Amino acid sequence: MANTLRSYLACIRNTLEAAMCLQNFPCQEVERHNKPEVELKTSSELLLNPVLICRNEAEKCLIETSINSLRISIKVKQADELENILTKKFLRFLSMRAEAFQVLRRKPVQGYDISFLITNYHCEDMQKHKLIDFIVQFMEDIDKEISELKMSVNTRGRLVATEFLKQFV
Amino acid sequence: MACLERASPALKEVLLKLHRAEIPMEIDHHIHEFGSVQYHIQASQSDPHHVYLSVSTPILSKGIILCDGLPPTTLQTVQRTYPSIVEIIEPPKEGYQLTLKIKFDKIPHGKESVKVITDISAVQAVILSSQLKEMLWNLGSQDISLVMYKPIKLIYHPREPFFIIRMPKKITAVFPMRFRDKSDVIIATAFFQELMEVGCSEEWVKAPPCTWSPIPPPELRGENFEDLSTNGGFVSFDIFSRHVEGKKLDRTAWSLLNFYAYVKYHVQCTRGFIQRRMRKRLESLAQVLQKSGIGEDEQNKEVQGCKYMRKVLTFSKSKTFKGKCCSFSMKIKRIHSPIKIHAFNRFHRRLWKLPKFYSLRRYSKLD
Repeated sequence: MANTLRSYLACIRNTLEAAMCLQNFPCQEVERHNKPEVELKTSSELLLNPVLICRNEAEKCLIETSINSLRISIKVKQADELENILTKKFLRFLSMRAEAFQVLRRKPVQGYDISFLITNYHCEDMQKHKLIDFIVQFMEDIDKEISELKMSVNTRGRLVATEFLKQFV
Repeated sequence: MACLERASPALKEVLLKLHRAEIPMEIDHHIHEFGSVQYHIQASQSDPHHVYLSVSTPILSKGIILCDGLPPTTLQTVQRTYPSIVEIIEPPKEGYQLTLKIKFDKIPHGKESVKVITDISAVQAVILSSQLKEMLWNLGSQDISLVMYKPIKLIYHPREPFFIIRMPKKITAVFPMRFRDKSDVIIATAFFQELMEVGCSEEWVKAPPCTWSPIPPPELRGENFEDLSTNGGFVSFDIFSRHVEGKKLDRTAWSLLNFYAYVKYHVQCTRGFIQRRMRKRLESLAQVLQKSGIGEDEQNKEVQGCKYMRKVLTFSKSKTFKGKCCSFSMKIKRIHSPIKIHAFNRFHRRLWKLPKFYSLRRYSKLD
């Protein structure tokens, strides 16, 4: 793993560990309701300062924290057009199957490619350190998968091109 | 065209069905393919040995044909395929460019028949490729009088025209590429770049040089704006005389005619590949989160260990004793009651069943 990526992921991990201390907190506006404050943003006293971690201009992670919920938005690097469509396709595919991940948001926050919403209920059901591991691994895997997909598409193209040119020889 | 095979699958099936039929069949079929190709198959019971096949196909280039119908070289090529089996009817049926009389009695039986019928089903491909072959063959003849710098527009499919430009020592085929989806454009562009790279390598020196550019090549200057407006750029192949020598001519013509279909097929397959791969990855990504639930570790620990030990621990003494008694009573039942009498069932049950000891807190049903 590249050093910059390692430090980028380590920084995200540390920030998540610090931010993921969520507790049950009923909604102050609506009685008998319990809503993720990070989404509603109705009371400023329940929100913490958002943390933006950037590896470079194209790769960044926004961590927004509130008393009962945490929102993580990720922007994945897209070096060229092929990477761009592969990233879009893959992340859209995952967002459409958000129920498989429980913590995945169906729509990413504007300016980002994918978003997660972790509430205090998720922290009660799942182990905190494993949840953080999942987020970090997800980021690693997405990067790896996109580069592998790009390579596969190019390799397929090369093979098909070779087969086409064979017909003339 | 969307079909890389030369033979029309539908036409082949109908002809094979007719050939294999033991009793003569009455058939009057119209087949439409790719929106622009039409076949009409006629067979009557009164004349079982002859089948009439009429074909209507878009002409590759209107500029090169002066008279109505197909050029004589194309007709000769069709006739040459199977001279004893196929006969061209003149004039063709109204609305069609070619009518063939297929002599079914002369088609051999067995595996050979499939080959013959497959070749007859490829009549449309023969018509189209013969026109392009003629142009390419002229390159081989090196006749300077045939040299034309003006591009010839060939319409193999109404929405996918391509251009042929004759030059002194080569023919350039230019394909304006259009795609519906942006992602298709990007996949195809990656393919064109690979095609260029492969073509430039030493291994493929003999293959026609290929170039791709997002803007129209200078040879197409002056053509219609509609033909030059693309989203996938322009792919050009330079065909030299070595690519049209002997048997290569047929392959070269067919490859050029099917370049669109080839690219589109590749794009479609790549999309499918990406989808399959994403689906596979989804499972592995979701698995990580599924394991992070509280109690997962304990469950995993429970599953581990010796099965025999777990069994011993879970079975109490009373349960093992009860189990043994049950098996013993079952054995006796099997020995003593080979014939069942329903009236004695209740008595039988009471006699051989071990008495139950209910706890004081529970209610027990009184018989």
